[in-house]
This record gives sequence, structure tokens and C-alpha cells, in this order.
Amino acid sequence: MPISALMALSYAAFAIFVIVVASKWVKWSSMPMHLRWELYPVPHEAGRNQYGGSYIEEVDYWKKPRETTLAGELKDMFSEMLFIKRVYEYKRPLWWLTYPFHAGIYLILAWFFLLFVHGILSVYISIPVLAKVVYYLIQICGTIGIIAATLGCIGLIIRRFSDKDMLNYTAGVEIFNLFFILIVLLTGIATWITYDPNFQHAMEFMKALVAFNSAYLPKLTTIAEVHVILLCLLWIYIPFTKMSHFIGKYFTFHKVLWDDELNVPGSKVEAKVRELTRLPMPWSAPHVDTGKSWDENALENPKDEWGRWKY
Amino acid sequence: MEILSREIKPEDAASPVDQLVKLTVRDLEKLPPPYDKPGMEPELTDPKPEWKEKYATDLDGYIAIDLPWKPKNKEEEERLIKSFLNGLNKLLTKEGNWTFLQPLLLSLEYCAKCQTCSNACPIYIMSGKQEVYKPTWRAEILRRIWKKYCTPAGKIFGKFVSGDIELNAKTLMRLAESAYRCTLCRRCTQTCPIGVDNGLISHEIRKLFSQEMGIAPKALHELGTVQHLKVGSSTGLTPDGVKDIIEFIEDDIEDKIGKRIKIPVDEKGADILLIHNAGEFLSWPENPAAFAILFEEAGISWTLSSEQVAYDAVNYGVWYDDLQLARIAAKHAEIANKLEVNKIVVGECGHAHKAITVIADRVLHDDIWIPRESCMPILWEIVKKEKINFDPEKNNFPVTLHDPCNMVRLMGVVEPQRKILRKLAPQFREMEPHGVYNYCCGGGSGFAIMQSMNFPEWRNAVATRMKFKQVLEAFKDCLDPSINKYICAPCSNCKGAIRDMLSYYQASERLSIYYGGLVELMVNAMVDLEEPFVEWEFH
Repeated sequence: MPISALMALSYAAFAIFVIVVASKWVKWSSMPMHLRWELYPVPHEAGRNQYGGSYIEEVDYWKKPRETTLAGELKDMFSEMLFIKRVYEYKRPLWWLTYPFHAGIYLILAWFFLLFVHGILSVYISIPVLAKVVYYLIQICGTIGIIAATLGCIGLIIRRFSDKDMLNYTAGVEIFNLFFILIVLLTGIATWITYDPNFQHAMEFMKALVAFNSAYLPKLTTIAEVHVILLCLLWIYIPFTKMSHFIGKYFTFHKVLWDDELNVPGSKVEAKVRELTRLPMPWSAPHVDTGKSWDENALENPKDEWGRWKY
Repeated sequence: MEILSREIKPEDAASPVDQLVKLTVRDLEKLPPPYDKPGMEPELTDPKPEWKEKYATDLDGYIAIDLPWKPKNKEEEERLIKSFLNGLNKLLTKEGNWTFLQPLLLSLEYCAKCQTCSNACPIYIMSGKQEVYKPTWRAEILRRIWKKYCTPAGKIFGKFVSGDIELNAKTLMRLAESAYRCTLCRRCTQTCPIGVDNGLISHEIRKLFSQEMGIAPKALHELGTVQHLKVGSSTGLTPDGVKDIIEFIEDDIEDKIGKRIKIPVDEKGADILLIHNAGEFLSWPENPAAFAILFEEAGISWTLSSEQVAYDAVNYGVWYDDLQLARIAAKHAEIANKLEVNKIVVGECGHAHKAITVIADRVLHDDIWIPRESCMPILWEIVKKEKINFDPEKNNFPVTLHDPCNMVRLMGVVEPQRKILRKLAPQFREMEPHGVYNYCCGGGSGFAIMQSMNFPEWRNAVATRMKFKQVLEAFKDCLDPSINKYICAPCSNCKGAIRDMLSYYQASERLSIYYGGLVELMVNAMVDLEEPFVEWEFH
């Protein structure tokens, strides 16, 4: 059977999400190398990350092999990703709201993945024991996920409106984003309670998607249809907004705050520096030779009428 | 004078009132005993009426940018706005800002406005939580302008996406001034769950004004980097002048230790080119003297330079202008290479450490590359390898350590200086918090040298307040004025800020709290010295 409109929308939402996220990733990845701007503690500094030290604590550090620890970096990364450590440490009252929200979303994402696995197991490979395990995991992740995310989302909305520190800095779109998510979650809860308490229809829906066959589609109620449509729109919308901060967060930490790669003669860093310092300077202040390269501006030392450096 | 009488929001940057806030001592966070009593600190003053005509007093009445840049009429205002927007667009290009494009855009794009960073800022906290000093306040103004004028979403959806902001002369004057109410200590960034860097945004605002419009505090630009390049030092010290001072230091060393040390100057082929902040030569000559004693006694091959620029380690460009930063860093490296030394070692100057070692790491290339490192590991090696005999009992007085942000949080040189103190100062105690979570001295990002008009009052009362609180707490068991206490601040600018702080709060007279560098304490502990090297006098 051909695919239905809802299935087409689901495929499109997923594809747009992946494409836009990937293009953002490419955009951030292809930005020019910047000056070093690391901030300590840098967690990959082996033996020093506990107190925030760096390899610069060594005499002749540039001659010595770098000692880094992937485990240190992963520990910091996962404690931030999974537990939102910095909010826990520095703004605990907010953490009680933002953590269930984010943890709920992670569980919902896990729920999607499990639905997908279940779909594969239903359509292509039959492993009954695994299918059973996945079935129960779907119940756990879906139930906890949607409740936690909804409570967190409501809490964040209340906090956003009641905390002037936050409200005064909030643009309309940020309120809209929270309400958009809340509506998707609430329609999800309504669908779950009134139509799909065991996520049976969700599994069937995913089975249809995995099989590219609308014959497997369950008959959806209006609220379920509304939920699927809104959910798809949210998937499409997220990567265009700062709700996609999961992309930015990788770059802020790994490519800025933890980027301590050394420039030594003959290195790739040096080649990039050479290339970048050839760019023309567009700035207009009197001390800038506009149009000349960064290198020319920095190295040529323009002299005044007394033979002294002008700038 | 009209002041905004309600809570302040980011959009109030455009408010037509004279001043957004007016500070009083009663608004500020309380200090610990004995400074918890009234009358222990001076009252804050109003800006002189004539200043308001030319200078931007519109934020809080204080003036960091001591240039008469206030627009006089509508035409000038429009020119200013146009110039600002031109600069902002350049800040968003690879050509104009490859140096910080990625960090800037990430920070503009992803702030969740959760305000987790606010409580990390010592200025915001100690000001009694004045909104205009919040790390997000100035960042949000720039963010809104960027959204509104530079992004498709902002242009299409307007206020709904960008938030409310009006761009007028007041907005720009307040934005520029507020970038100089942040010491760029980046403590706020440490707390951000997304890694957004509101400290960087202050830096970029400063840069936009400087690189596009030539607007920057005189102490940083005209008397700072320009004078450094033109004359040889931001202090105005000339090559002949520095040679004279070095001779004077040699005499002084002889007086103190009974032995003449010939300080090597312009010695080709030495292992190390040691560069001090030239402020040390003028204000604290005992510091270069102590370095000379230690390096000579430890048998290190080293030299100073008397060539223009290279006898002053400072690089004020790091605070406000990437081009000026590059010019000075390149000059330092070029002169070191000419001297055929193996490496540059930076003396006790935090921002000079970061500028030449870390930031300029991606400026120097090919012929102008040279290894650069901190003096701290070398000093620790002198102690660790027992190259000199020390007697810690000579330092048996209360000592606390100030961590210069640039050296510690921003480049990870944390332990060598503490290891030295643990070894040589029996009564060493940490401030809380310390290490990479330290608080700025309040003189960071140029504040220590910005002495114009009423800015020092703000610095002393607000910016250094947290450091003063920390110092009082570190010495709370020995506040008795009969006990001399030593704040070890291994950074010239930090020392400058701490000197002014102690003077402002009269803490040397009242509590016998003094300050100095690390090498002075090391020399003070040398077994061979008959007389103490540390002098308990305020200077």
C-alpha cells in the first residue's frame, strides 16, 4: 500500500531534521580557526584536570609529549549532557525543573529509538525475546519520559514567567518554543491516556514507517492525528531554533573552551594561521590600514614623520 | 539628574534618562568585619556636570571611555549608529573577525537566558546585584541588535524573535561603557551549561568600538598599545630610561644583599629572554631585582631586552583590539628571535602571560614564531631542585595568594606558585574560592591602569570589592594590626589594583595588610640573605 500523508509528513520531518542539523554541524565545523580562548579546567588535561591545570605548567612544555585523557573529557561531557551538572551546581532551583524536562526528552528520544527497533523486529528480523524486552522498555521510557518532560516543561514556563531575571530577557519566540513543546507533550499525553495506553498504536505506526507500508497503520483518533502532525512540525522546527543547542554545545566546549591545541612550526595550526593572517582587514579605525592583510598590518610597522611607529 | 526609577531591562539601554543607575555605598554588598561598620569606606560621588556634555555618563555615571565621543546632534548620532552597524557586520565576517568568529556566533546564538552565570560575577554580586552589571545585560543588548539587524529571522519577525531593542546613541554609549564594567575574568562562562561566553561578548563589543571607530579608553589605546609601539612601553619608559633603571636596580641589589649582580641586557644567545611588565621597573623595582637575584643564583642563562617594546611584556590589545594585540605580540617575538634566545619567559604579569603564550599562539607563525612560557614553572624548578637554599622560617607571617585570572583560569598555570608557597611560606592560606575558580582582583581587562576621571572610584568600590572581602576573610584570624600580612599577587596589574584597593580601604594602616609578588617572598626566604628582602611599607 502506498504511504499515507501522515507517514509522508513523518519521513519529511525526520529528513528535514537530519539535513538541517547536519548543515548546522557543517556550518560550525567549517568556521575559521579562532585564537585560543580556552577556559580551565580543561577536562582532557591528564593529571591536571582535577585542579584545572594545563600543560603550560611545565618548563619547555612545547618540547614534551602531550598527556591527555579521553576519559576526563567524556566524564565532563556526560555529566553535563546527562545530568546538566553546571545548573545543578550553580542554579539548583532551576535544575529541579530543567532536569526532568531534559531527562524526559532524552527518554522520549530513547522511546523513539526503541519503537524503531521494535518496528525492525516486527518487519524484518524476528527475535521474540528481544522484542519482548524492547516492548517493556518502551513502556518504561515512554511513560516516565512524557510525564517528566511535561512536568519539567510546565515548571519551566511558570519559572520563565515568575522569575523576572529570566522573563526580562526572554523574547516572544522563546515563550512560543516552550508552549509549542508543551502542546506537543499534552497532545501526546491525551493520546496516550485516551487511545494508546500501552503504546501499541505507536508501535504499529512505527512499523508502518519502517516497512514503508501504510497497511500497518493503526486507525488514529483525531487527537492522535493532531499529536503526530504537531510532533512532526516540532521536529522540523527545532533545528532552525536555539533549541538545537545540543549542536552548539559540542562546539562551545570542544572547539572553544577546551581547544588548547598548540601551534608549533610545521603544524597544521601554523598552516591555518598563515592562511588566515593573509586575509584583508576590513576595519576602519584610524590605526588600521584598511584592506591590507592582518600580517601586513601587524608586521609592517608603519612609521610617522619622526620615524617612530605610527600605531 | 533623571534616573530610571523602576527595574531595569535590556531594552532600557535606549532610555532617554540621564543615567540608568546611581550607586550608593548602601546599595553595595556588605563587607566582613571590621568593614561592616558605617564610615569605614568613602561615599560615592556624582560625575561632574561638565563631564556629561562630552562623555558617556549615561550608564551609571562612571566613565571608562575617557574620549569625548558623545554625539552632539542628530547627524552625529546617525553617523555613530551607521558606523556601529558597519562594525557589527565586520565582526560577523571571516575577514574581519576570524580571530573570534566561531566563539562569538556560538555565544550570540545559544544563550538560554537562564541566568545561571549571573551569580558567578563578582561585580554583579558586590554591586548589590545591579542589573546593568549582570553578565547577560550587555550581552543581551548586543544579541538583540544582532538579531534585529543582522539575521533574516530578526529582519522578518522583528521583536518577536530579537526581543525589544531600540538603537540610538544612548544604547551605544551604554553598551560601550558596560563592556568596561566586565573584567573579562570569564567566571560567568565557567558556569554556563551551554558554554556560552558572555565575557567574550564584552571583549567583542570593546573590539567593535575600537577597530571600527577608534573608541577605547585612552589608557588602553592611546597611552597603552600606541605608546607601547611608539615609545617602547605603555608606561612611557624609553630604552634609555629602562637601562638607567636597570643600573639603579643593580645598585639596589648590592645595597640589599651586599653583592653586585650584573643584570644581563641584550645578551645574544641567552637561553631565556625575560620580559617584565614595565610597570615593575617604575613601581615595584624590587620585583625585577628579585628575579635577577634568583636567576643569577640558580645559574640560569637569561637576558632582558632594552629594545623598544621588548622591555615591556604588557599587551593591552588582548583586552580590546586584536590588531594591536597582534602587533605587540609579533614585536615581542621578532625581537626575541633577533636576540637568538631559545624562548621568551614572561615575568609576573598575568595578561602578558596569556597574551603572548596562549592568545598569540595563533598569531605567530614562520619567522616570528618562538617558544613562550610562564615564569612560574621555572621558579618552581628552582625550589624543587634546590638550586638555592631557602629557609621558610624567614617567611613566617600570614600569606595569602591571589590568582591572576589570566594566568590561572585562562591558561591553567595553577600549581607551581602554590607549591612554592607551601614550601616557603609556613603561614600560607588560600583565599576562598581559589585556583581556577578565583575572583578577579577587580583590575582585570585594563581596569587597574584606567585612572581617568571617576573610574577608579567605581573600580575600588565595586570591582575590587569581592577581592577585598576575600582578603579580609583569608586573614580573619590575624586581623590584629600588630601582625604584618602579605597578599602574594604574582601579576603587575593585580598588584596595581590591590595597591589601590588597600589604599581606598586604608587596609595597610588599619590592619597591616601589604602586598607584593612571589619572587620577593622567594628571595626573602634565601638563606644567604642577612636582611629581609620584604619591606613592610605601603607603596
